[in-house]
Amino acid sequence: MTDGEGGSGIISPAEWRKPSIRFGLSALQWLLLVGLVVVGLGPILWLAKSAITPTLDTITHPVSLFRHGAAWSNLREAWSTVHVGRYFWNTIVIALGYWAAQLLVATTGGFALSVLRPRYASLINGLMLATLFIPGVVLLVPLYIEIVRVPLVHSSLIDSYWAIWLPAGASAFNVVLMRRFFDNLPREIFEAARIDGAGPFRLFWSIVLPMSKPILGVVSIFAVLASWKDFLWPLLVLTNPNEQPLSVRLPSIEAQTSLGVFLAAMFIACLVPIAGFLVFQRTFLRGSGLGGAIKG
Amino acid sequence: MKSLRRIATAVAVAGLVALCATAAALGSRSSSVTISVASLIPGSTQAAVNQFNSQVAQFEKANPGITVKPVEYQWTGPTFAAKLAARTLPTVFEVPFTDARTLGDNGQLADLTPYAQKLSYFKEFNPAVIAEGTDAKGQVVALPKGAYAQALHYNRALFAEAGLNPNKPPTTWAQVRADAKQITARTGKPGYVEMAKDDNTAGWILTTVVYSLGGRMETGSGTSAKATLDNKYTIQALNMLKAMRWTDNSMGSNFSYSWGDINQAFAAGTVGMYVSGSDIYTNLVQAYNVNPSIYGIAPIPLAHNKNAGVLGGGTLAAVRPDANKAQLAAAVKWMSFFYEEPQISKTQAIRNAQTLVANKQPVGVPALPLFNKRLYDISQTWIKPYINVPIAQMKPFLTGIFSENLIPEPEASTQSVYHALDAVVEAVLTNKDTNVVQMLQQATSEAQQAISQGA
Amino acid sequence: MLDQLREPAFTKRGLSRRSGVPRRTPITWVRGGGLSTVVFLIPLLFVFGAFSWYPIVRTVVMSLQHTNLVQPATWVGFANFKAVWHDPLFPVAVKNTAYFAGLALVFGYPIPLIAAVLMSEVRKRRGIFSALAYLPVVIPPVVAVLLWKFFYDASSTGVFNTVLGWVGLGPYPWLQSQQWAMPSLVLESTWANAGATVIIYLAALTGVQTELYEAASVDGAGILRKVWHVTLPQLRGVLLVTLILQIIGTAQVFLEPYLFTSGGPANSTLTVLLLIFNYAFGNSLGGDYGKATALSLMLAVFLALFSLIYLRATRSWSSR
Repeated sequence: MTDGEGGSGIISPAEWRKPSIRFGLSALQWLLLVGLVVVGLGPILWLAKSAITPTLDTITHPVSLFRHGAAWSNLREAWSTVHVGRYFWNTIVIALGYWAAQLLVATTGGFALSVLRPRYASLINGLMLATLFIPGVVLLVPLYIEIVRVPLVHSSLIDSYWAIWLPAGASAFNVVLMRRFFDNLPREIFEAARIDGAGPFRLFWSIVLPMSKPILGVVSIFAVLASWKDFLWPLLVLTNPNEQPLSVRLPSIEAQTSLGVFLAAMFIACLVPIAGFLVFQRTFLRGSGLGGAIKG
Repeated sequence: MKSLRRIATAVAVAGLVALCATAAALGSRSSSVTISVASLIPGSTQAAVNQFNSQVAQFEKANPGITVKPVEYQWTGPTFAAKLAARTLPTVFEVPFTDARTLGDNGQLADLTPYAQKLSYFKEFNPAVIAEGTDAKGQVVALPKGAYAQALHYNRALFAEAGLNPNKPPTTWAQVRADAKQITARTGKPGYVEMAKDDNTAGWILTTVVYSLGGRMETGSGTSAKATLDNKYTIQALNMLKAMRWTDNSMGSNFSYSWGDINQAFAAGTVGMYVSGSDIYTNLVQAYNVNPSIYGIAPIPLAHNKNAGVLGGGTLAAVRPDANKAQLAAAVKWMSFFYEEPQISKTQAIRNAQTLVANKQPVGVPALPLFNKRLYDISQTWIKPYINVPIAQMKPFLTGIFSENLIPEPEASTQSVYHALDAVVEAVLTNKDTNVVQMLQQATSEAQQAISQGA
Repeated sequence: MLDQLREPAFTKRGLSRRSGVPRRTPITWVRGGGLSTVVFLIPLLFVFGAFSWYPIVRTVVMSLQHTNLVQPATWVGFANFKAVWHDPLFPVAVKNTAYFAGLALVFGYPIPLIAAVLMSEVRKRRGIFSALAYLPVVIPPVVAVLLWKFFYDASSTGVFNTVLGWVGLGPYPWLQSQQWAMPSLVLESTWANAGATVIIYLAALTGVQTELYEAASVDGAGILRKVWHVTLPQLRGVLLVTLILQIIGTAQVFLEPYLFTSGGPANSTLTVLLLIFNYAFGNSLGGDYGKATALSLMLAVFLALFSLIYLRATRSWSSR
C-alpha cells in the first residue's frame, strides 16, 4: 500500500511507453479519482456545509452554497440544547470499555492458546472458531434476555454499559488474529526468557505484548471503530436517553430537532472517526487488508 | 423597598429550602423516599424542561421527604416491553389507553386501588376513562393523564393563501379533498398528509377515518373478537386516500411521516391539513416552536350515519409493580399533583397554569374532560386569565367536540390491528395499482391471528 | 477460509507441555503452569461462555418454548417454527432479503474490483485513492443512513432530485415508492461498504505474482487479457470469500431497512432480521421471543447450508 513506483504490475514497461495506453489509463484513473472525490468526499463535505447553513436554506436549496450566510449557531445549539456533548462523551466511554474488553480477552486468550498451549487448547479453539460461523442474529434475542435478567445474580444489566462491554469481548475474530500473530513470534525468545526464570505473566507482559504492537494497534482501531458504529445492541440495552451513544440518540431526536441543528449534530458525530482515520490511515488500511487476508 | 422585600423573600425561601433539605437529610431514612417519574419526551425545549423542573420543585416543597427524579420518557413499542421486563422504567410512567388493561391483567403494573380510592375526587372520574385503567379483577392500575379526540389540524396561513376561509375548515371528507386539491394547486404545498410509517400510526389514522364514516375494525371482545378490517367503510376511506394521492396529487411527496415527523412538517408550515390527537398543540410548541398564528383545529368530519363517531384515546400514568409501599404512596401523590389536581382543584389549576405561562408553555390546549363536562367548564374558568393558546382559532373544534359521539380505539390487540393496517395505507400511497380489497383481506387475517393469540 | 484457520500450529509443541514430566497430580499440574494457563484463559472462557456459547444454546431452547418474560416459559415443540412458516410476512421478508442480497451483489461486487484493479496501476499517490475510497467506511453507519435519508427526499427540492434535475431527470420517489425503496437502500449500503472491499482487493492484488504478467506479456497478451487470465484467477480465493461473506452479511441486513423505512412502504423493505426484531421487540405488550429465535435459527441453518454447498461447489475451482 505504499506510493510505489512499481512498474511490475499488469502493465508492462513496454506497454507503458505506448502513449495510447498511458493516456487511456491516466484518463481512466483521473475519472476514478473524480468519482472517488464525489462519492467518497462529497457527502461529507455536503454535511459539513449544511451543518453551518440555516435550516430553511438547506430545505429549499440543498445544493447551493450559503445563500443567506452561515449559521454557526447550529453547531453551538447542537452542542448545548441537543446535548451532543453528553452523547459524545457516552460514545467515548462505551468505546473505551469496548476496546479494553476486546483487548483483554484477545491478548490473554491468544497468549494462552498460542504460547502456553494447554492440552485442551484445541477444544477451546474449536468452540471459539465455531462462533465465527454462526450469524450474529442467533445471539440477539437470548443475549438480550440474558441482559434483561442476568442468570444466577437476579439483576438486570439493562442501562448499564457492562451490557455492551462484556459481550463485546467475545470476538473470536480478534482472538484468532492475536493467536496467529503470537504463533509467528520466534519461539526461541520465549524459551530463552523461560530459562532466565520468567514466569508466564512476565513473559506475557514484558516480552509478548511489547513485540505485538502492530497487531495491538490494528485490533484497537477496529475495536473503537466497531463500537462507534454499533447501533442495534446499544439501542436494545441502553434505554435511558442520558446514557445512550450518538448512534442510538441521533435517530430518536431526528423528529424533534430542527434540520440544521440535526445535521450539525451528525457532523460532530463524524468528526472523531474521520480524524482518527486521517491520523491512523496506514493502520486502518493495513488492518482492512489484513481482515480480508484472515477471512480469506 | 420593593427589591428589598424581594430579596428578603428570596432569602426566606432559600432558607426554607435549605431547612427542608436538611430536615430531609437529617430525618430518619424511612420517612424519606425517592421516586423517578416520567418527564418530557426526549428533545423537548429547554423552556419545557424548566417548566417541568419547577413543577417538581413545587411538589417537593409541598411534600417534604419525597424526592422526585425526572426521567425523559417516550412510550415506544420496542423499548417499553424491554424496560418493563428489565425493571428500568421510572417509578411513574405513562402508557396509552390501549395497553393499560392488558398490562394490568399480566401483573405488570402496581395495584393503586387503596391509594386511588383515598383521593377526594376519585368518584368524580369519568367512568369510561377510569375503566381504561382498571384491570379484569377490578383493581385500579393506572390513573388518567389526559384524553384526546382525534381532530383535523390545518394551517390557517395556507388556507388563506389558497383562497379558502381559515375560519371555515372542511366539515365533510369531500370538502377535505376539494380543499386539499385547492391548497396544492394554489400554494404548491401538500394539501392533506397522513402518517404512514410502519409504527402503527398509519393504522391509527385510518381507523379514525373509518370511525368517522361509520365503520368499526372489530366486533366482540377479548380473544374471541372478530376482526372486521375489510368492512366497506375501510374500502371507502382507502379509495378516498387513493383519489387524493393519485388523482388529485394533493398529498405531497413524503409518504413515511411518523407522529413526530408530521408535527415537524406542520410546524414548518409545509402541510395543509392532517389528522392527529386534539392535544397535539402542546407538542407543536414544546418541540417545534410552532408559529401560533398558523394553527387551526377542526372536528373530524362525520358522515351522516348513526354509527359515525370520533376516535378518542388517551394516556394513563401507572406505577412499576415492584415499587414499595412508601414509593407507591409517593407515586400516587405525584400523579395526583401533576396529572389530576390541575384539572379538579382551583388552586392547583392556577398554580399549574402560572408555571406553564412563566415558562412560555401552552395553557388551554383542547383536551377531553377526565372528569365530566361540568367540572371541565369550571376548571376552564379558573385558568382563563392564563390561556395563551390561540383559543379563537380553536373555536371550530371546541364548539363541536363535546356533543360528538366518542368511540374508543379497537379494544382487542389494538397495536396489532393498527400494524396490519399500516401496510395497506402505505401500499395505497406508494403504489397506484394497489388492490385495496385483497390487501385488506390479508390485513384482516393478520389481525385476526393476533387477536386470537391475544398478542 | 477454513483451511487458513485450521493451521498446522496445533502440531507444534506448546511451552507448558513438557514430555517426560509426570502430569497426574494437581501439584505437578500447577508447577507445570497449568494454573496460570487457566488464569490467562479466564477472560476468554468467561465472555465466550456467558455471551456466546450459552446464548447459542439458549436460542435452541427458546425456539421450542413460548416465552414472553411475563409468564413462565412453556414447551411448545415446533409450534414457533410452524407459526413463522405460516406467517404471511415470512415469504415477503425472505423475498426482500434475497432481493437486497442480489441487488447488493449487482451494485457492490464488480465496482470495487474494477476500482481496485485501476488503483493498483496508479503510480503516484495511491494513498489518496485508497483513503478516498475508504472514507465512507469510517462514517458511523447511523449517520450515513440519516444523511442519505435526507438526500433521498422525494420532493423536487431533495438533494438527489435537485442534482438529477440539472440534467433533466426526476424527481424520483426514492424511499416513498415500493419499487424504488429497496434499490435506494442497497445504493446507500454499497456506498457505505464498498471501500472496505476495495482495500481487501488492493491488498490481494499486491500479492499477485508479477512474473506471470511478464510471462503473459512475452506471450503477447494485451492488458485486458492479462487482467482476465492472470489477475482474476490469482484473486480467485479472495473473490470467492468476499462473495460468500457479502451474502452472509446482506442476509442479516437490519440497519438500512430499520432506519430508512421501518420495512415500508407496505412491507417492501421488510427483511428477515427486521421481522425477527419485530417479533421480539415490536409489541409493547411483550415480545414473542419463541418466534424470534425460531426464525433466527432458520436463517442460521440456511446460511450454514448455503456456505457449505458454496464451499463444496467452489472448492475445485478455487484450488485449481
